[in-house]
Amino acid sequence: MMTIKVPESDILQAERRKVLAATLFAVVSAVVILVLFILPAEFNKDPLGMGEVLGLSGLSSSSGVRVETIHKEEGALREDSVSFQLLPFEFVEYKYQLNKGGSMVYSWNSTKAKAGSSLVSFEFHGESEETEDYVESYSLGEGEHEAGTFIAPFSGIHGWYWANHGSEIVTVTLNTAGFYTQSLEFRDGFVNKKPLEQVGAIK
Amino acid sequence: MIEYRSSCRSVNRCLCISPCRLWWAFVLMLVPMVAAAHTISGDNARFVEGLEGPAVIPYMYLGAKHMVTGYDHLLYLVGVVFFLRRLKDVALYVSLFTLGHSVTLLGGVLLEWNVNAYLIDTIIGLSVVYKAFENMNGFQQVFGLQFNARIAVLIFGFFHGLGLATKLQDLSLAADSLVINMLSFNVGVEIGQVIALTCIVLVLGQWRKTHHFRGQALMANTVLMSLGFMLAGYQFSAYLWA
Repeated sequence: MMTIKVPESDILQAERRKVLAATLFAVVSAVVILVLFILPAEFNKDPLGMGEVLGLSGLSSSSGVRVETIHKEEGALREDSVSFQLLPFEFVEYKYQLNKGGSMVYSWNSTKAKAGSSLVSFEFHGESEETEDYVESYSLGEGEHEAGTFIAPFSGIHGWYWANHGSEIVTVTLNTAGFYTQSLEFRDGFVNKKPLEQVGAIK
Repeated sequence: MIEYRSSCRSVNRCLCISPCRLWWAFVLMLVPMVAAAHTISGDNARFVEGLEGPAVIPYMYLGAKHMVTGYDHLLYLVGVVFFLRRLKDVALYVSLFTLGHSVTLLGGVLLEWNVNAYLIDTIIGLSVVYKAFENMNGFQQVFGLQFNARIAVLIFGFFHGLGLATKLQDLSLAADSLVINMLSFNVGVEIGQVIALTCIVLVLGQWRKTHHFRGQALMANTVLMSLGFMLAGYQFSAYLWA
């Protein structure tokens, strides 16, 4: 049999039988560990039911995959729709008063004066009213649109900072509905508090 | 007199064992590092995504961290240098691996290849299996074949690079400073590789000096192969279910 001798690869001269046994052992041990431990713990897949016995099945089921289906609220539902015009290098902050566990759905987008969308820098964050100076960032980056559901991790004011780093005028439009009580607009060093109307309230 | 002799022997034994113990302590020290998470984690990702323009040092750091804590790349490197006694050969094989993964890291990001990260990581797991089997001389013993180990390390380098590219693409690099940040990441990967290899080569070198090495080499490669199968199984499961 012709073999190419690679000088540096001074490899093991094991017999065929030993190599086969080692490979078999490697496959079997890997499969056993996968099926008994890794699959139940990481993916909540438990073909033999051993994950349940070993108490591993719980590890992956709480990793954000199993979201609560309903989340009841005490307060009144309110909605809000605002637009901000931002000149180049202008910024604005707009936040809502939300108690811990209070939720809202939100969607914002930024558009140029003429047509088309435009990137703005944004940071969705919250300031705690319980712990002084505690700020948590939820979403950060550059974009032209973001939407989602928000559940306040603590009581305080939660909302967005938008900055226009481009050379054209940009309009940011925000639509929300949620269980907040008021909104606060921070612009040019002023704070403008606005009580928000309940949905379906008699005017 | 007899008393003296026996104590002398035990002193000798102590002297022989202590360097081994030292090395094991060193190896154990590396375990928490290796066990760290493998993707670029939340806070790191949020930070670099918030940066504008070139960020050479943060991306270099992330590249180095990804390599030093990336057990898939580390296991493969262990397999590659396992039987390489001469530093010249280590340099040759690692250069081929570096060439391979740099080509696909840079190419993958620039050409925006959208490969599935889980499938690539499955292949990376199988690269560990391949190398362990090659170390056992399995291709010749079982199939009567011998592939060129240098070409294999280059080809698997391509796959490891694709894996690196998917991690970097997850960070949604800003287009304006894409090239400089990507190159910084690549340089960081190589720095991390040098750090990891220094440890691996030193530990293997000490182990090779011991007389158990011959007997333990087959077992070590069996363990390596088993870990490779586990990695591949884990990543393929993630592809199916995550």
